[in-house]
Amino acid sequence: MAGVETAAPTTNGGKWHDHYPELGTGPLPLEVFTSAEQFALEREYIFRKVWLNVCRIEQLSKPGDYFVKDIGVCNTSVIVVRGKDSRIRAFHNICSHRGNKVIWDQHGSASAFTCKFHGWMYGLDGGLKFVPDEASFFDLKKDCLGLTPVHVDVWAGFVFVNIDPNPQETLQEYLGELATELAGYPFAESSATAFSWRAEVKANWKIVKDSFQEVYHVGCLHKRSLPDAFVSSDNPYTHMLDMKLFPRHGRASLFGNAAHQPSPVQALSYKHGSILVRSGFSENTLPVGVNPTRSTDWSFELHVIFPAFFVVVSEGTYFTHQFWPLAVDRTIWESTTYFPKAKNLAQRFSQEYSRIIFRDIFLEDARTVEETQSVLSTGAKNEFLLQDYELLVRHSHNVVLNMITGSDGKTIGRAV
Amino acid sequence: MPEPHLPAAFRDLEPWLAWSLATEGERSAKRQSSTMVEIKAFYETMLARMEAILPYLEQFPPDNVPPQTERLFYLTLSLAEIAPAAELYGQPGVVDGFDVSRFTPGNE
Repeated sequence: MAGVETAAPTTNGGKWHDHYPELGTGPLPLEVFTSAEQFALEREYIFRKVWLNVCRIEQLSKPGDYFVKDIGVCNTSVIVVRGKDSRIRAFHNICSHRGNKVIWDQHGSASAFTCKFHGWMYGLDGGLKFVPDEASFFDLKKDCLGLTPVHVDVWAGFVFVNIDPNPQETLQEYLGELATELAGYPFAESSATAFSWRAEVKANWKIVKDSFQEVYHVGCLHKRSLPDAFVSSDNPYTHMLDMKLFPRHGRASLFGNAAHQPSPVQALSYKHGSILVRSGFSENTLPVGVNPTRSTDWSFELHVIFPAFFVVVSEGTYFTHQFWPLAVDRTIWESTTYFPKAKNLAQRFSQEYSRIIFRDIFLEDARTVEETQSVLSTGAKNEFLLQDYELLVRHSHNVVLNMITGSDGKTIGRAV
Repeated sequence: MPEPHLPAAFRDLEPWLAWSLATEGERSAKRQSSTMVEIKAFYETMLARMEAILPYLEQFPPDNVPPQTERLFYLTLSLAEIAPAAELYGQPGVVDGFDVSRFTPGNE
Protein backbone atom coordinates (compact mmCIF):
# COMPACT_ATOMS: atom_id res chain seq x y z
CA MET A 1 0.00 0.00 0.00
CA ALA A 2 1.47 3.35 -0.95
CA GLY A 3 1.26 6.38 1.27
CA VAL A 4 -1.74 8.46 0.30
CA GLU A 5 -1.88 12.21 0.70
CA THR A 6 -4.69 13.01 3.06
CA ALA A 7 -6.63 16.23 3.23
CA ALA A 8 -8.91 16.52 6.23
CA PRO A 9 -11.65 14.26 4.83
CA THR A 10 -13.85 14.95 7.80
CA THR A 11 -14.43 18.52 6.72
CA ASN A 12 -16.61 17.24 3.86
CA GLY A 13 -18.25 14.51 5.89
CA GLY A 14 -15.84 11.77 4.83
CA LYS A 15 -13.73 9.52 6.99
CA TRP A 16 -9.99 8.96 7.18
CA HIS A 17 -10.67 5.30 6.47
CA ASP A 18 -12.04 6.33 3.05
CA HIS A 19 -8.43 6.80 1.94
CA TYR A 20 -7.53 3.24 2.84
CA PRO A 21 -10.43 1.06 1.64
CA GLU A 22 -8.21 -2.04 1.62
CA LEU A 23 -8.14 -1.93 5.43
CA GLY A 24 -11.90 -2.23 5.77
CA THR A 25 -13.78 -1.08 8.85
CA GLY A 26 -14.52 -4.38 10.54
CA PRO A 27 -13.68 -5.57 14.03
CA LEU A 28 -10.28 -6.80 15.17
CA PRO A 29 -10.07 -10.35 16.55
CA LEU A 30 -9.12 -10.21 20.21
CA GLU A 31 -7.00 -13.35 19.98
CA VAL A 32 -4.18 -11.39 18.31
CA PHE A 33 -3.34 -10.24 21.87
CA THR A 34 -3.62 -13.62 23.57
CA SER A 35 -2.54 -16.25 21.05
CA ALA A 36 0.76 -17.91 21.91
CA GLU A 37 0.89 -19.19 18.34
CA GLN A 38 0.65 -15.67 16.94
CA PHE A 39 3.31 -14.48 19.38
CA ALA A 40 5.72 -17.17 18.17
CA LEU A 41 5.11 -16.07 14.58
CA GLU A 42 5.64 -12.40 15.44
CA ARG A 43 8.95 -13.31 17.03
CA GLU A 44 10.09 -15.27 14.00
CA TYR A 45 8.69 -13.26 11.10
CA ILE A 46 8.70 -9.72 12.49
CA PHE A 47 11.19 -9.09 15.28
CA ARG A 48 13.89 -11.33 13.83
CA LYS A 49 13.46 -9.75 10.39
CA VAL A 50 13.13 -5.99 10.78
CA TRP A 51 15.26 -3.07 11.96
CA LEU A 52 14.96 -2.39 15.70
CA ASN A 53 16.07 0.76 17.50
CA VAL A 54 18.42 0.01 20.38
CA CYS A 55 19.94 3.35 21.43
CA ARG A 56 20.96 6.88 20.45
CA ILE A 57 24.30 7.78 18.93
CA GLU A 58 25.00 10.08 21.91
CA GLN A 59 25.32 6.91 24.02
CA LEU A 60 28.32 5.94 21.85
CA SER A 61 30.06 9.30 21.63
CA LYS A 62 33.72 8.19 21.65
CA PRO A 63 35.75 5.17 20.49
CA GLY A 64 35.35 2.29 22.94
CA ASP A 65 31.89 3.35 24.14
CA TYR A 66 29.57 0.36 24.11
CA PHE A 67 25.92 -0.32 24.84
CA VAL A 68 24.36 -3.71 25.52
CA LYS A 69 20.78 -4.48 24.56
CA ASP A 70 19.16 -7.70 25.67
CA ILE A 71 16.56 -8.47 23.02
CA GLY A 72 14.55 -11.26 24.58
CA VAL A 73 12.09 -11.51 21.71
CA CYS A 74 15.03 -12.38 19.43
CA ASN A 75 16.62 -14.65 22.07
CA THR A 76 19.77 -12.60 22.03
CA SER A 77 21.82 -9.87 23.62
CA VAL A 78 23.56 -7.39 21.33
CA ILE A 79 26.68 -5.31 21.93
CA VAL A 80 26.77 -2.04 20.00
CA VAL A 81 30.18 -0.37 20.07
CA ARG A 82 32.04 2.53 18.51
CA GLY A 83 35.36 1.19 17.23
CA LYS A 84 38.80 2.79 17.28
CA ASP A 85 38.07 3.78 13.65
CA SER A 86 34.86 5.49 14.93
CA ARG A 87 32.65 2.99 13.06
CA ILE A 88 29.60 1.66 14.87
CA ARG A 89 29.48 -2.13 14.95
CA ALA A 90 27.18 -4.64 16.61
CA PHE A 91 27.72 -8.22 17.77
CA HIS A 92 25.84 -11.01 19.42
CA ASN A 93 26.95 -10.92 23.05
CA ILE A 94 28.16 -14.54 23.23
CA CYS A 95 31.67 -15.93 23.54
CA SER A 96 33.04 -18.20 20.79
CA HIS A 97 34.52 -20.59 23.34
CA ARG A 98 31.72 -21.92 25.53
CA GLY A 99 28.91 -19.47 25.02
CA ASN A 100 29.21 -17.18 28.01
CA LYS A 101 27.63 -13.75 27.75
CA VAL A 102 30.69 -11.58 27.16
CA ILE A 103 29.48 -8.21 28.53
CA TRP A 104 27.29 -8.33 31.62
CA ASP A 105 26.78 -4.63 32.32
CA GLN A 106 24.56 -2.36 30.21
CA HIS A 107 27.02 0.23 28.98
CA GLY A 108 30.55 1.47 29.44
CA SER A 109 33.79 2.20 27.66
CA ALA A 110 36.42 -0.41 26.86
CA SER A 111 39.53 -0.95 24.76
CA ALA A 112 38.66 -4.64 24.33
CA PHE A 113 36.00 -7.12 25.48
CA THR A 114 37.23 -9.89 27.78
CA CYS A 115 35.00 -12.84 28.61
CA LYS A 116 34.74 -13.31 32.37
CA PHE A 117 34.66 -17.13 32.11
CA HIS A 118 38.11 -18.04 30.68
CA GLY A 119 39.46 -14.68 29.59
CA TRP A 120 39.03 -14.87 25.81
CA MET A 121 39.59 -11.35 24.54
CA TYR A 122 37.96 -9.62 21.56
CA GLY A 123 38.85 -6.30 19.91
CA LEU A 124 36.29 -3.55 19.42
CA ASP A 125 36.01 -4.79 15.82
CA GLY A 126 34.85 -8.17 17.18
CA GLY A 127 38.04 -10.01 16.21
CA LEU A 128 39.41 -12.64 18.61
CA LYS A 129 42.67 -11.18 19.95
CA PHE A 130 43.82 -13.47 22.72
CA VAL A 131 43.12 -16.98 24.03
CA PRO A 132 44.65 -17.97 27.37
CA ASP A 133 46.54 -21.31 27.13
CA GLU A 134 46.03 -21.29 23.39
CA ALA A 135 48.53 -24.14 22.88
CA SER A 136 46.20 -26.60 24.64
CA PHE A 137 43.42 -26.12 22.05
CA PHE A 138 43.05 -28.20 18.91
CA ASP A 139 43.32 -26.54 15.48
CA LEU A 140 42.12 -23.20 16.79
CA LYS A 141 41.35 -20.89 13.85
CA LYS A 142 41.34 -17.56 15.66
CA ASP A 143 40.56 -15.59 12.48
CA CYS A 144 37.18 -17.31 12.28
CA LEU A 145 36.32 -17.09 15.97
CA GLY A 146 35.43 -13.44 16.43
CA LEU A 147 32.15 -12.24 17.92
CA THR A 148 29.23 -12.89 15.55
CA PRO A 149 28.33 -9.62 13.82
CA VAL A 150 24.83 -8.14 13.79
CA HIS A 151 23.73 -5.69 11.08
CA VAL A 152 23.65 -2.16 12.42
CA ASP A 153 22.90 1.25 10.90
CA VAL A 154 22.09 4.75 12.09
CA TRP A 155 19.28 7.10 11.09
CA ALA A 156 19.08 10.63 12.52
CA GLY A 157 21.22 9.50 15.44
CA PHE A 158 19.01 6.49 16.24
CA VAL A 159 20.99 3.25 16.20
CA PHE A 160 19.12 0.27 14.73
CA VAL A 161 20.09 -3.38 14.52
CA ASN A 162 18.69 -6.17 12.38
CA ILE A 163 19.04 -9.70 13.77
CA ASP A 164 18.47 -11.30 10.37
CA PRO A 165 21.89 -12.47 9.08
CA ASN A 166 20.74 -11.33 5.62
CA PRO A 167 18.40 -8.34 6.02
CA GLN A 168 16.02 -8.02 3.13
CA GLU A 169 16.35 -4.25 3.00
CA THR A 170 18.59 -1.48 4.25
CA LEU A 171 17.56 0.69 7.20
CA GLN A 172 16.95 3.56 4.80
CA GLU A 173 14.69 1.39 2.66
CA TYR A 174 12.92 0.14 5.75
CA LEU A 175 12.18 3.61 7.13
CA GLY A 176 11.33 4.91 3.65
CA GLU A 177 9.15 7.97 3.30
CA LEU A 178 8.67 8.45 7.04
CA ALA A 179 12.39 9.21 7.38
CA THR A 180 12.40 11.42 4.30
CA GLU A 181 9.58 13.52 5.73
CA LEU A 182 11.49 13.97 9.01
CA ALA A 183 14.78 14.99 7.38
CA GLY A 184 16.04 18.21 8.91
CA TYR A 185 14.45 17.83 12.33
CA PRO A 186 17.22 18.85 14.78
CA PHE A 187 17.46 15.50 16.58
CA ALA A 188 21.13 16.04 17.52
CA GLU A 189 20.49 19.40 19.17
CA SER A 190 17.27 18.21 20.82
CA SER A 191 18.86 15.06 22.24
CA ALA A 192 21.44 16.72 24.50
CA THR A 193 19.49 15.88 27.66
CA ALA A 194 17.85 12.47 27.88
CA PHE A 195 15.87 10.91 30.73
CA SER A 196 14.47 7.44 30.45
CA TRP A 197 12.17 5.06 32.28
CA ARG A 198 11.82 1.32 32.02
CA ALA A 199 9.04 -0.95 33.19
CA GLU A 200 7.90 -4.50 32.69
CA VAL A 201 4.16 -4.51 32.09
CA LYS A 202 1.85 -7.50 32.06
CA ALA A 203 0.36 -6.93 28.64
CA ASN A 204 0.83 -8.00 25.05
CA TRP A 205 3.17 -5.64 23.18
CA LYS A 206 0.39 -4.63 20.78
CA ILE A 207 -1.96 -3.69 23.62
CA VAL A 208 0.76 -1.35 24.86
CA LYS A 209 1.60 -0.08 21.39
CA ASP A 210 -2.02 0.53 20.45
CA SER A 211 -2.61 2.68 23.50
CA PHE A 212 -0.16 5.18 21.99
CA GLN A 213 -1.45 4.91 18.43
CA GLU A 214 -4.65 6.80 19.16
CA VAL A 215 -5.60 9.82 21.26
CA TYR A 216 -9.34 9.09 21.39
CA HIS A 217 -8.64 8.07 25.01
CA VAL A 218 -7.02 11.36 26.06
CA GLY A 219 -10.18 13.22 27.07
CA CYS A 220 -11.28 10.29 29.22
CA LEU A 221 -8.29 8.41 30.64
CA HIS A 222 -6.14 11.55 31.01
CA LYS A 223 -8.91 13.93 32.09
CA ARG A 224 -7.13 14.68 35.38
CA SER A 225 -3.58 14.96 34.05
CA LEU A 226 -4.50 16.86 30.90
CA PRO A 227 -7.75 18.69 31.65
CA ASP A 228 -7.56 21.08 28.70
CA ALA A 229 -4.22 20.71 26.91
CA PHE A 230 -5.39 18.33 24.19
CA VAL A 231 -9.14 18.81 24.24
CA SER A 232 -11.26 21.88 23.55
CA SER A 233 -14.93 22.64 23.07
CA ASP A 234 -14.27 22.53 19.31
CA ASN A 235 -12.35 19.25 19.51
CA PRO A 236 -13.60 17.36 22.58
CA TYR A 237 -12.35 13.97 21.35
CA THR A 238 -8.84 15.11 20.35
CA HIS A 239 -9.40 14.38 16.66
CA MET A 240 -6.08 14.22 14.88
CA LEU A 241 -5.23 17.02 12.45
CA ASP A 242 -3.75 14.64 9.91
CA MET A 243 -2.92 10.97 9.49
CA LYS A 244 -0.79 9.16 6.97
CA LEU A 245 -0.07 5.48 6.57
CA PHE A 246 3.15 4.20 5.07
CA PRO A 247 3.60 0.58 3.98
CA ARG A 248 4.45 -0.40 7.56
CA HIS A 249 4.78 2.78 9.57
CA GLY A 250 2.28 5.49 10.47
CA ARG A 251 2.18 9.17 11.29
CA ALA A 252 -0.42 11.29 13.04
CA SER A 253 -0.58 14.99 13.73
CA LEU A 254 -1.92 15.68 17.21
CA PHE A 255 -4.20 18.51 18.21
CA GLY A 256 -3.25 20.84 21.03
CA ASN A 257 -5.49 23.42 22.64
CA ALA A 258 -3.53 26.66 22.32
CA ALA A 259 -6.04 28.32 24.69
CA HIS A 260 -5.37 25.86 27.50
CA GLN A 261 -4.93 27.37 30.96
CA PRO A 262 -1.72 26.18 32.60
CA SER A 263 -1.69 25.31 36.30
CA PRO A 264 0.47 27.58 38.53
CA VAL A 265 3.61 25.41 38.38
CA GLN A 266 3.00 24.69 34.69
CA ALA A 267 2.89 28.46 34.05
CA LEU A 268 6.25 28.87 35.80
CA SER A 269 7.64 26.04 33.69
CA TYR A 270 6.37 27.61 30.47
CA LYS A 271 8.29 30.81 31.23
CA HIS A 272 11.55 28.91 30.99
CA GLY A 273 11.21 27.06 27.80
CA SER A 274 9.55 23.71 28.10
CA ILE A 275 6.00 23.94 26.89
CA LEU A 276 3.48 21.14 26.64
CA VAL A 277 1.27 22.93 24.14
CA ARG A 278 2.57 26.02 22.44
CA SER A 279 0.68 28.61 20.46
CA GLY A 280 2.36 29.09 17.14
CA PHE A 281 5.30 27.22 15.66
CA SER A 282 8.22 27.79 13.29
CA GLU A 283 6.65 27.00 9.95
CA ASN A 284 9.85 27.59 8.04
CA THR A 285 12.13 25.35 10.05
CA LEU A 286 9.99 22.25 10.61
CA PRO A 287 10.25 19.42 8.08
CA VAL A 288 7.12 18.38 6.19
CA GLY A 289 6.68 15.37 8.48
CA VAL A 290 6.19 17.63 11.50
CA ASN A 291 2.89 19.51 11.65
CA PRO A 292 2.26 18.85 7.93
CA THR A 293 -0.96 20.86 7.89
CA ARG A 294 0.85 23.84 9.44
CA SER A 295 -1.95 24.13 11.95
CA THR A 296 -1.73 26.59 14.83
CA ASP A 297 -3.60 23.98 16.90
CA TRP A 298 -0.80 21.46 16.57
CA SER A 299 0.98 19.89 19.55
CA PHE A 300 2.92 16.73 18.64
CA GLU A 301 3.68 14.61 15.61
CA LEU A 302 3.41 10.92 16.32
CA HIS A 303 5.73 8.74 14.22
CA VAL A 304 5.12 5.03 14.69
CA ILE A 305 8.02 3.04 13.29
CA PHE A 306 7.04 -0.59 12.88
CA PRO A 307 7.03 -2.77 14.85
CA ALA A 308 7.11 -0.83 18.14
CA PHE A 309 9.26 2.31 18.11
CA PHE A 310 7.58 5.68 18.61
CA VAL A 311 9.21 9.04 17.93
CA VAL A 312 6.88 11.77 19.14
CA VAL A 313 8.20 15.19 18.22
CA SER A 314 7.27 18.68 19.25
CA GLU A 315 9.28 21.78 18.49
CA GLY A 316 12.69 21.52 20.16
CA THR A 317 11.76 18.52 22.29
CA TYR A 318 10.63 14.97 21.66
CA PHE A 319 10.09 11.64 23.36
CA THR A 320 10.30 8.03 22.33
CA HIS A 321 8.70 4.77 23.34
CA GLN A 322 10.19 1.39 22.56
CA PHE A 323 8.20 -1.71 23.41
CA TRP A 324 10.00 -5.06 23.62
CA PRO A 325 7.88 -8.20 23.77
CA LEU A 326 8.94 -10.72 26.41
CA ALA A 327 6.04 -13.15 26.19
CA VAL A 328 2.54 -13.08 24.77
CA ASP A 329 1.38 -11.17 27.87
CA ARG A 330 4.54 -9.40 29.03
CA THR A 331 6.34 -6.39 27.53
CA ILE A 332 9.30 -4.21 28.40
CA TRP A 333 8.33 -0.57 28.06
CA GLU A 334 11.10 2.00 27.61
CA SER A 335 10.36 5.71 27.34
CA THR A 336 12.84 8.52 26.96
CA THR A 337 12.23 12.27 27.00
CA TYR A 338 14.75 14.41 25.12
CA PHE A 339 15.52 18.10 25.55
CA PRO A 340 18.13 20.52 24.24
CA LYS A 341 20.96 21.24 26.67
CA ALA A 342 19.58 23.57 29.33
CA LYS A 343 21.31 26.95 29.34
CA ASN A 344 20.67 27.38 33.05
CA LEU A 345 19.05 25.74 36.06
CA ALA A 346 15.72 27.49 35.55
CA GLN A 347 15.43 25.77 32.17
CA ARG A 348 16.30 22.45 33.82
CA PHE A 349 13.43 22.99 36.25
CA SER A 350 11.17 23.63 33.28
CA GLN A 351 12.31 20.41 31.57
CA GLU A 352 11.81 18.49 34.79
CA TYR A 353 8.23 19.66 35.12
CA SER A 354 7.48 18.57 31.53
CA ARG A 355 8.92 15.11 31.88
CA ILE A 356 7.26 14.45 35.24
CA ILE A 357 3.90 15.33 33.68
CA PHE A 358 4.70 12.88 30.86
CA ARG A 359 5.65 10.21 33.39
CA ASP A 360 2.44 10.58 35.35
CA ILE A 361 0.42 10.39 32.13
CA PHE A 362 2.33 7.23 31.15
CA LEU A 363 1.42 5.76 34.56
CA GLU A 364 -2.26 6.16 33.61
CA ASP A 365 -1.58 4.37 30.32
CA ALA A 366 0.48 1.62 31.96
CA ARG A 367 -2.21 0.80 34.51
CA THR A 368 -4.80 0.67 31.75
CA VAL A 369 -2.88 -1.73 29.50
CA GLU A 370 -2.43 -4.17 32.41
CA GLU A 371 -6.09 -3.95 33.39
CA THR A 372 -7.02 -4.57 29.75
CA GLN A 373 -4.79 -7.61 29.40
CA SER A 374 -6.08 -9.03 32.69
CA VAL A 375 -9.56 -9.60 31.25
CA LEU A 376 -8.80 -10.48 27.63
CA SER A 377 -8.97 -14.20 28.31
CA THR A 378 -12.42 -14.14 29.90
CA GLY A 379 -13.92 -15.44 26.67
CA ALA A 380 -16.73 -12.90 27.02
CA LYS A 381 -15.54 -10.83 24.06
CA ASN A 382 -14.04 -12.01 20.81
CA GLU A 383 -13.27 -8.80 19.02
CA PHE A 384 -12.31 -5.14 19.38
CA LEU A 385 -14.06 -2.27 17.61
CA LEU A 386 -12.03 0.50 15.99
CA GLN A 387 -13.30 3.96 15.07
CA ASP A 388 -12.03 6.31 12.37
CA TYR A 389 -9.34 7.90 14.57
CA GLU A 390 -7.99 4.48 15.51
CA LEU A 391 -6.78 4.11 11.92
CA LEU A 392 -3.13 3.60 12.90
CA VAL A 393 -4.17 0.74 15.19
CA ARG A 394 -6.04 -0.96 12.36
CA HIS A 395 -3.17 -0.41 9.95
CA SER A 396 -0.47 -1.86 12.17
CA HIS A 397 -2.50 -5.00 12.91
CA ASN A 398 -2.93 -5.40 9.18
CA VAL A 399 0.84 -5.15 8.73
CA VAL A 400 1.42 -7.76 11.45
CA LEU A 401 -1.10 -10.07 9.85
CA ASN A 402 0.47 -9.68 6.42
CA MET A 403 3.91 -10.48 7.79
CA ILE A 404 2.90 -13.64 9.63
CA THR A 405 0.31 -14.92 7.16
CA GLY A 406 0.78 -16.27 3.67
CA SER A 407 -0.80 -14.64 0.64
CA ASP A 408 -3.53 -17.28 0.69
CA GLY A 409 -4.45 -16.11 4.18
CA LYS A 410 -3.65 -19.53 5.60
CA THR A 411 -0.01 -20.39 5.14
CA ILE A 412 1.69 -19.23 8.28
CA GLY A 413 5.09 -17.69 8.11
CA ARG A 414 5.50 -15.39 5.15
CA ALA A 415 8.64 -13.29 5.34
CA VAL A 416 8.64 -9.50 5.07
CA MET B 1 28.76 27.98 63.07
CA PRO B 2 27.92 25.37 60.41
CA GLU B 3 27.80 26.50 56.80
CA PRO B 4 24.23 27.47 55.78
CA HIS B 5 22.63 24.99 53.39
CA LEU B 6 20.94 27.41 51.01
CA PRO B 7 21.94 30.70 49.32
CA ALA B 8 21.51 33.76 51.57
CA ALA B 9 18.33 35.03 49.92
CA PHE B 10 16.57 31.67 50.38
CA ARG B 11 17.48 30.65 53.94
CA ASP B 12 13.79 30.83 54.86
CA LEU B 13 13.46 27.52 52.95
CA GLU B 14 15.90 25.64 55.20
CA PRO B 15 13.04 23.88 57.09
CA TRP B 16 12.18 22.20 53.75
CA LEU B 17 15.60 20.69 53.08
CA ALA B 18 14.21 17.16 53.42
CA TRP B 19 12.78 17.79 49.93
CA SER B 20 16.19 18.70 48.49
CA LEU B 21 16.87 15.38 46.79
CA ALA B 22 19.26 14.70 43.92
CA THR B 23 17.48 11.93 42.05
CA GLU B 24 14.05 11.32 40.57
CA GLY B 25 13.86 8.04 42.49
CA GLU B 26 14.33 9.83 45.81
CA ARG B 27 11.93 12.65 44.94
CA SER B 28 9.27 10.24 43.76
CA ALA B 29 9.63 8.09 46.91
CA LYS B 30 9.33 11.23 49.06
CA ARG B 31 6.16 12.24 47.20
CA GLN B 32 4.60 8.81 47.59
CA SER B 33 5.44 8.57 51.31
CA SER B 34 4.17 12.07 52.20
CA THR B 35 0.66 13.03 53.23
CA MET B 36 -1.32 15.54 51.19
CA VAL B 37 -1.02 17.96 54.12
CA GLU B 38 2.78 17.77 53.84
CA ILE B 39 2.71 18.00 50.06
CA LYS B 40 0.38 21.00 50.05
CA ALA B 41 2.50 22.80 52.66
CA PHE B 42 5.66 22.32 50.60
CA TYR B 43 3.78 23.29 47.43
CA GLU B 44 2.40 26.53 48.87
CA THR B 45 5.75 27.51 50.37
CA MET B 46 7.68 26.89 47.16
CA LEU B 47 5.09 28.44 44.87
CA ALA B 48 5.27 31.68 46.87
CA ARG B 49 9.05 31.78 46.38
CA MET B 50 9.41 30.61 42.76
CA GLU B 51 9.13 34.12 41.29
CA ALA B 52 12.39 34.87 43.13
CA ILE B 53 14.01 31.45 42.80
CA LEU B 54 13.76 31.06 39.02
CA PRO B 55 15.52 34.37 38.12
CA TYR B 56 18.22 33.38 40.63
CA LEU B 57 18.66 29.92 39.07
CA GLU B 58 18.70 31.50 35.63
CA GLN B 59 22.18 32.82 36.46
CA PHE B 60 23.67 29.34 36.76
CA PRO B 61 24.65 27.07 33.88
CA PRO B 62 23.88 23.43 34.78
CA ASP B 63 27.55 22.49 35.09
CA ASN B 64 29.65 23.27 38.20
CA VAL B 65 26.80 24.45 40.39
CA PRO B 66 27.79 25.63 43.91
CA PRO B 67 26.42 23.27 46.62
CA GLN B 68 24.05 25.83 48.17
CA THR B 69 22.55 26.65 44.77
CA GLU B 70 22.31 22.96 43.92
CA ARG B 71 20.26 22.29 47.06
CA LEU B 72 17.90 25.12 46.13
CA PHE B 73 17.65 23.72 42.59
CA TYR B 74 16.77 20.27 43.97
CA LEU B 75 13.93 21.88 45.92
CA THR B 76 12.49 23.15 42.61
CA LEU B 77 12.80 19.65 41.12
CA SER B 78 10.77 18.33 44.07
CA LEU B 79 8.18 21.02 43.34
CA ALA B 80 8.02 19.67 39.76
CA GLU B 81 7.64 16.17 41.22
CA ILE B 82 4.75 17.00 43.55
CA ALA B 83 2.99 19.58 41.35
CA PRO B 84 0.72 16.97 39.70
CA ALA B 85 -0.26 15.63 43.14
CA ALA B 86 -1.08 19.13 44.43
CA GLU B 87 -2.65 20.57 41.28
CA LEU B 88 -4.25 17.62 39.51
CA TYR B 89 -4.78 14.52 41.63
CA GLY B 90 -5.46 15.65 45.20
CA GLN B 91 -3.53 12.60 46.39
CA PRO B 92 0.18 11.74 46.34
CA GLY B 93 0.00 9.16 43.56
CA VAL B 94 -1.58 9.27 40.11
CA VAL B 95 -5.29 8.45 40.42
CA ASP B 96 -5.80 4.92 39.07
CA GLY B 97 -2.11 4.93 38.12
CA PHE B 98 0.53 2.26 37.64
CA ASP B 99 2.87 1.80 40.61
CA VAL B 100 5.54 4.44 40.00
CA SER B 101 8.17 2.29 41.73
CA ARG B 102 7.80 -0.15 38.79
CA PHE B 103 8.62 2.69 36.36
CA THR B 104 12.36 2.79 36.87
CA PRO B 105 14.40 5.90 36.04
CA GLY B 106 17.27 4.90 33.80
CA ASN B 107 19.71 7.77 34.21
CA GLU B 108 20.54 7.91 37.88
